[in-house]
Amino acid sequence: MSEAARVAACERCACELEAEDLRCPICGLATPPPERAVATRERARVVRCESCGAAVEYSVEARAPRCAYCGAVTHVEMTVDPVDQAQGWLPFTVDPKAASEALGRFLGHKAFFRPSGLAKEASLESMRPLWWPAWVFQAGVAVSWTADSDAGARRSDWAPHAGRTRLDFTNILVPASRGLKVSECDTLTPRYRFELAENEGRGPEEASVERFEATRSGARKTVLAAVERLAREHVQESGDIPGSRFRNVHVAVALSSLRTTRWALPVYVLAYRYRGNPYRVLVHGQDAELVFGETPLSKWRVLGVVVAFLAFMAALLFFTGGLS
Amino acid sequence: MPERRDEPTATLTEPRLHLGCQSCGALLVLEPSLRTTRCPYCAAPSVVERPPRPGVPEPAFALGFALTHAAAREKVSRWLRSRSRFTRNGIRSAEPGDVHGLYVPAFLYSALAKSSFQATIGEHYQERESYTTTENGKTVTRTRTVTRTEWRPLQGELEGYVADVLVTASNGLRNEELEALEPFDFRALARYTPALVSGWVAEEPSLTRDACLEGARQEVGELMLNRLGALMPGDTHRDVSHDTRLDWESLDVCLLPVWVLPVRYAEGEEPLRVLVNGQTGEVHGKAPLSTWKVLAAVLVGILLVLGVVLYVGGGVG
Repeated sequence: MSEAARVAACERCACELEAEDLRCPICGLATPPPERAVATRERARVVRCESCGAAVEYSVEARAPRCAYCGAVTHVEMTVDPVDQAQGWLPFTVDPKAASEALGRFLGHKAFFRPSGLAKEASLESMRPLWWPAWVFQAGVAVSWTADSDAGARRSDWAPHAGRTRLDFTNILVPASRGLKVSECDTLTPRYRFELAENEGRGPEEASVERFEATRSGARKTVLAAVERLAREHVQESGDIPGSRFRNVHVAVALSSLRTTRWALPVYVLAYRYRGNPYRVLVHGQDAELVFGETPLSKWRVLGVVVAFLAFMAALLFFTGGLS
Repeated sequence: MPERRDEPTATLTEPRLHLGCQSCGALLVLEPSLRTTRCPYCAAPSVVERPPRPGVPEPAFALGFALTHAAAREKVSRWLRSRSRFTRNGIRSAEPGDVHGLYVPAFLYSALAKSSFQATIGEHYQERESYTTTENGKTVTRTRTVTRTEWRPLQGELEGYVADVLVTASNGLRNEELEALEPFDFRALARYTPALVSGWVAEEPSLTRDACLEGARQEVGELMLNRLGALMPGDTHRDVSHDTRLDWESLDVCLLPVWVLPVRYAEGEEPLRVLVNGQTGEVHGKAPLSTWKVLAAVLVGILLVLGVVLYVGGGVG
């Protein structure tokens, strides 16, 4: 993990700041300004162009101070919103051969609705080793909640309640992948070994990297939405709300000590073809035992079950009708 | 000077500045409320640097203009044409005068707000009730389901950060005017540097920090009321009140881009002042209504009503 870009945390909420932040993105506190020479007496200063020395004026068209003579734009410390890069990489510990074998095992696995000749007839179409992007965050959260529950209800079925709770989230992973489904990311996540983190990607040569597409502010929004969702789930499941039934659960969160790291996580995306149709299977990049994905259904078996069910229902109706 | 602390304005009492132009050496005479000037001899733009003064904080941030002066004029022309027909003669056809781009100082406030709140929450329930009605000339008793509301008190606490609260620091721009121009897009926030305001008119804060702090706290009070409204459970609620403690308050001066356009619409009348948000193009102004037009409309309305009443009355009678 690269520690070079670390800057002091926000004084008010202790959330991690990026070097370019002018204000804390969580609580809005201004970051300390760089040291500047303090004027000792009043003077009228003409701001000079760094390139040609002519006077510089702010230009609406350039949206920055620009020299009217040479056109050079003066650098100003602005709020930036870059698309971030991964900070931590997990290496592939499963090689392509093992991934291919894992697919073979997956296809050979017997299941009732699968066609019996799947393992023999399926042909591997492509195997793409890939690092998918994710944010991992930790934060302290002060949660204020309100809800209606049946505890203390009188004439109405519901009575209002309010409360506060403090939660500490550690190592919560939020997927940033566009190519993988959230449910797929959730299945892959528990088997990653974050203790193997490296500063760059190590794996098969043809491995590709899915870039973070969200900008920094977009990432913060996604993380905040995840914090709110988790806080709501916690309030609903922890028993904080008295009574046995509840509704209208509202939460408000105040974050502190938020720290987010950006990860690149290894997975194999395999595509195979069976009787003309493509199917996708994922093999975990660090644990070949974890294989999951799409499989074709045997039409005859599905039809058989439906016919059997209909026959059973018909027989049931016949007998119950006969009894009455 | 303790007696000066209560004064709402900070800089206007100071004398004019006499400074030398860095470009040609000519004498620049500058109002104390201004941060920038242009040399009348060589047209060089200057930004004034002053030693730190108590009660007049230096700007921390600035939002640069994103709307050109031609676009601002066009926005105001369109705004004038879209005014009501009851505005005074000449306003709808007036052309905006000289456009002035102005950096107006405002305080950007943020804090950690901890509120204790009380509210009355309404929970609906349904009840069967009997009522009497007349059916076929007979009085009968029927039952129906009615929804009633049970009101229950609720107390609780809410903790959260408030950021991006803006209050004017200039006595040239009232806070209502600033609110009408908001929101500003803080994604374009830049750390203040003299180059950002060079060549433009930039004001110094003319209201004291303490006066602005009060204004900001009032805005936070309203903001917390909105947040509490969204947090309340139940089917409905009323009497939401809160007692809010503000910790970790911070107040930074931010220069905001505003286009100011005087509009002359009649001889001998004060020009109408129209403001345009220099970032978003939001237009604000108060076009005065014509008393005569409004009076004439009311009279016509009364005459019409009278006419209808007389006609209907005459017809029936």
